Amino acid sequence: MPAVAPESKTGYILDKLQSLSGVVPIGAYLVDHLWSNSYALVSIEKYNQVSGELQTVPWRIGVEAAVLWIPLLFHSLYGMYIWSRGKSNALSHPWMSNWMYVLQRWTGLLAFVFIGWHLYTERFGGHGVTRYAGVAQDMANPWYVIAYLLGVTACSFHLGNGLWNFACKWGIAITPKAQHAAAWLGAVVGVGCTLAGVAVVLGFHYAWFPLGGYVQ
Amino acid sequence: MADKTFIVRIKRQQRPDESVRWEEYELRYRPHMNVIICLRDIAEKPFTQSGVESTPVSYDANCLEEVCGACAMLINGTARQACTALVDDLEKPIRLEPLTKFPLVRDLVVDRSKMFEDLKRTHCWIPIDGTYDIGEGPRMAPSVQEKGYPLSRCITCGNCLEVCPKVNQRDPFVGAAIVSQVRLFNMHPTGAMHSAERLDALMLPGGIADCDNAQNCVKACPKGIPLTESLAAVNGQVLVHAVKSWLRGE
Repeated sequence: MPAVAPESKTGYILDKLQSLSGVVPIGAYLVDHLWSNSYALVSIEKYNQVSGELQTVPWRIGVEAAVLWIPLLFHSLYGMYIWSRGKSNALSHPWMSNWMYVLQRWTGLLAFVFIGWHLYTERFGGHGVTRYAGVAQDMANPWYVIAYLLGVTACSFHLGNGLWNFACKWGIAITPKAQHAAAWLGAVVGVGCTLAGVAVVLGFHYAWFPLGGYVQ
Repeated sequence: MADKTFIVRIKRQQRPDESVRWEEYELRYRPHMNVIICLRDIAEKPFTQSGVESTPVSYDANCLEEVCGACAMLINGTARQACTALVDDLEKPIRLEPLTKFPLVRDLVVDRSKMFEDLKRTHCWIPIDGTYDIGEGPRMAPSVQEKGYPLSRCITCGNCLEVCPKVNQRDPFVGAAIVSQVRLFNMHPTGAMHSAERLDALMLPGGIADCDNAQNCVKACPKGIPLTESLAAVNGQVLVHAVKSWLRGE
């Protein structure tokens, strides 16, 4: 006989919110964040203009808390709870999707640590004011570059693979064919985000402006 | 000429609270042997390779043609049915262990009643009797029959639960087999009348949200049931049901 479980649907709702919050707002924000930071590959002026605008949105603390901090904390902490309920077995059953299950968890943890440090150094440390020169100064440090490359890759993988999970877990992609397509969509998003992130990091490190060709 | 032999290593345990011991048996090879034959050979002459007298190995088996699900065990680490595991195809020595996700009874016998309790919990049957004759049910379209047939081949062996990272002592997850049965019974025109009960049950702890999409189940299924398709389909059904009943009371 299974243990008598409490007859509550709260767990179902929390699981669904955990899954949803990874796509919206967190996943959407990651894409937007990489987009706005890609202005660093255009020019210093453009980057400072775009980041200046983002740093002067009205109700800033409230918006950041509602769109970023609360969803991030919930997604991460509840995600770790979900992780703790599973028992990885990829070594005895080394199928690719099983390795993805394991990687999804470890990249999530890596992303959580990275984002925490990133927020501490770039958001709270600088009191919410970021200029190109400041970031470039941080990025001169090779340890920063390594941490960012790891962090950006982990976040991108977690989003790409998470999109595939989302498509399956919300009953969007049902047939094996549709799930295969969803996996490819996730792969494209994951690789695209990784490439953009790596380019931005290297752009800051080398003062590299590959997209600045058409600046007047 | 001496007979060709091979070794079978078996993980044995008299009782769940007793310590594990591994025994090795040297068996005479005959063509087309399966693992059940190996266990019968041991029962005939329960002497280990080193000549020590032991006891026949306890195991579950019934149909011997992969339709009852009883003889599921770990064979060389893979969850599968002993009756269709042919000695010719297996790496030697052959390693036999009980499934790990169910309470152990003895040797290779485990108690799989969790699955049967979960089938009851999720209302996986179709009521055809009332206190009076409730008549014939609606006709089923051939296209739906064709979709349902592969799902009806489930033998409740538990292999999909064995390989699932989310089925373990910490989590009451019902597992892919049960979710797939919910899909089958919801597909049936008479069964669909009780779909809300099944979907409600899958929203409770151990329900469908516990699936984390490792997709091992579908690879371990001996009957080739599209379990990941069932999980995604029922995920969608539960979600629509949850939203409809919450917003519109349907």
